[in-house]
Amino acid sequence: MIFKDLSFSVQRGEKVLMLGPSGCGKSTLLQVLSGIIPNSIELPMKADTITLPESWGFVFQDPDTQFCMTYVDEELAFVLENLNVPRTDMAPLIEKVLKRVNLHLEDVHTPILELSQGMKQRLALASVLLLEPDVLFLDEPSALLDPEGTEKIWSSIKQVAANKTVIIVEHKIDLIADWVDRVVLFNDHGTILADGPPTTIFEQYQAELKRYGIWYPGVWQEYQESQSFQSMMKNRKLAVSSEKIHLNNFYGYRGSTPKIYTESAVAKAGDWIAILGENGAGKSTLLLSLTQLLRTNGVYEVNGIPIVQKKNKRQLPTGLSLVFQNPELQFVTNSIAEELIVSLRGLTKQQAKQHAEDMLQLFNLPDSDTRHPYQLSTGQKRRLSVATALTPQTDIVLLDEPTFGQDARNTFAILEKLEELRTQGITILMVTHDMEIVKSFATSVWTVMDGVLHTNSANGGGSNACLVHT
Amino acid sequence: MLAWFTPKRETWLFEVNPALKFMVFFALLLIALFNQNLSFAVWQAVLYSVLFYGFTGYSIKKLALLSIPLAISFLSSAGTMVLFGKGSNVLWQWGLIKISEESIQHALLLGSKSLSFGFVGFTFLLTVQPVLFFYAMMQQFGLPSKYAYSFIASFRLIPAVTEELQIRRNALKVRNIHFSRGIKGVYERLQMYTVPLFAQSIRRAQRIAVAMEAKQYQMGAARTYYYPTHFSRMDIVFTTVMAGGLVGTILLAF
Repeated sequence: MIFKDLSFSVQRGEKVLMLGPSGCGKSTLLQVLSGIIPNSIELPMKADTITLPESWGFVFQDPDTQFCMTYVDEELAFVLENLNVPRTDMAPLIEKVLKRVNLHLEDVHTPILELSQGMKQRLALASVLLLEPDVLFLDEPSALLDPEGTEKIWSSIKQVAANKTVIIVEHKIDLIADWVDRVVLFNDHGTILADGPPTTIFEQYQAELKRYGIWYPGVWQEYQESQSFQSMMKNRKLAVSSEKIHLNNFYGYRGSTPKIYTESAVAKAGDWIAILGENGAGKSTLLLSLTQLLRTNGVYEVNGIPIVQKKNKRQLPTGLSLVFQNPELQFVTNSIAEELIVSLRGLTKQQAKQHAEDMLQLFNLPDSDTRHPYQLSTGQKRRLSVATALTPQTDIVLLDEPTFGQDARNTFAILEKLEELRTQGITILMVTHDMEIVKSFATSVWTVMDGVLHTNSANGGGSNACLVHT
Repeated sequence: MLAWFTPKRETWLFEVNPALKFMVFFALLLIALFNQNLSFAVWQAVLYSVLFYGFTGYSIKKLALLSIPLAISFLSSAGTMVLFGKGSNVLWQWGLIKISEESIQHALLLGSKSLSFGFVGFTFLLTVQPVLFFYAMMQQFGLPSKYAYSFIASFRLIPAVTEELQIRRNALKVRNIHFSRGIKGVYERLQMYTVPLFAQSIRRAQRIAVAMEAKQYQMGAARTYYYPTHFSRMDIVFTTVMAGGLVGTILLAF
């Protein structure tokens, strides 16, 4: 049971933010309030009285699963068709609503596929506005967006929703904390812990907010000032420092066109390199080229051994491992323990089992022979996917936005595990958009711009001048 | 991928109502399927080849490329029929292989039929926009909107699924997964790919369905259409031309 004996109401025009640990039922409540449950999703539900808004709009979390048409104009027209709007009125309405959400396109007949994730969310907002809703339901609309997209979606929402009722579920709240009138805090059991104006809640319930992993304003600062972080960062240096990756005039190809190039780049043992760059600049291409999943050319050495690409049989360089963004797509077995063993080579059964146990402990994962990886929580799935990349031979880990869409607690947990690995001499290369992570953890920064990798860490390098290679 | 399906010029076939085009082509294929007369079948294939090579508006290069599968299907279906078909007037025999007059005739019949299917199928695919086809099916032939939109939505999902397939392939390489040889390997591959891809697709489909209903899509409710499709004079021209062509082939054949 998700909720028992819950009473909840919202006044007209109120802006309400619902907070709570993941899995506490906030999103479910949002769907009940809109009538999606039980009208579209059938769930057993009992209520003494339930008053739903007459007109409402719903923006969901995932930008990729909200549209049924291929083009921007078709998607917006789909809503107008549902409302029986005459065809001749459609084009001006479409143009107007795109302007309202600050989505400026040269041609409205643009494939949705070509939009960035942030633009897609603004399109979702636009399609919802066509319904002329009194109430807006927002289910983590910025959870899967980069900082720029996040800022734009919230500024659009604030603009269009000034005199609407808005009910929000969200973890990343620094942009809306002072905009909402009321914060409702849930606990793990789906009961309301507190309900009041934001300032009071943020003051009185800081411990809970922290425990639930909410990105409340100032969470990074507090983390950086915390005892555990300070002691982790003290004496942050390494005994040995050997060259792990060496690139010289290196090209990576998609098809026959070079998509990433670097003149020279070096990663050393114990480096934590943050790879920054705009969407589509070539960050993922770089990771795939380094793992030899794409055709490459030029000097590329891993642990001093030159990597020569064979024509038809590309092999992952020894010692290198890659963690993709979607954990589910890289799980290959039916149980958590097996998942940690399957990629190991050249170990006895006993050793493999020991390795799996170590990993379970290191990454705080439940020890279960029968539980399927898909049954884990999103944070656990992410940690497991990092753990699977680590074999005893691995000393370079590449990660594609490992903290993306995670709550604060999971983010810090993953970062701390990575730091632990780094102190053992493992090299970490990580794509990220989050400048706080770069500032707090990265030892140097690589920037990818228009398919070219720049490694001048003089202006980057995070704030970690304290890291000394000896 | 979608860019590939852009013609060099839009021919008159593009102006025909897509749903009507489908119905007419479907009827023609039924005739081709049930016909047992060799020369009628050959002339039909000729007629449809004129349509395919002359009036789809695509470059010779693309049409030549599309001809490859057509040639393969012609050769494979006709080839097996020639070599192994039944017949009494045996021309040549060697072991299991027996070529007879009847088998050659049957082979040509079968080959012409498969060519007709290929030409008509490609002509339709090359000259129709999927979205407009479903809009026309809804407006002119009363197809329930739920079917039309589920097809349209699934078109939208194709790129996402191909991308996921690519990621899965890379992930399996990174995870150091090797497959056995032979049938067992095929089974292993099937399992490794289908489970995660299905899981993702089912979740995605369910979410899109909920999002569609949240946008107040209602099954069976009256609706307006962004792309109005009509019958036009071109439809009369098209139907007449196709009927005339068919009559012509019948006259040539019998």
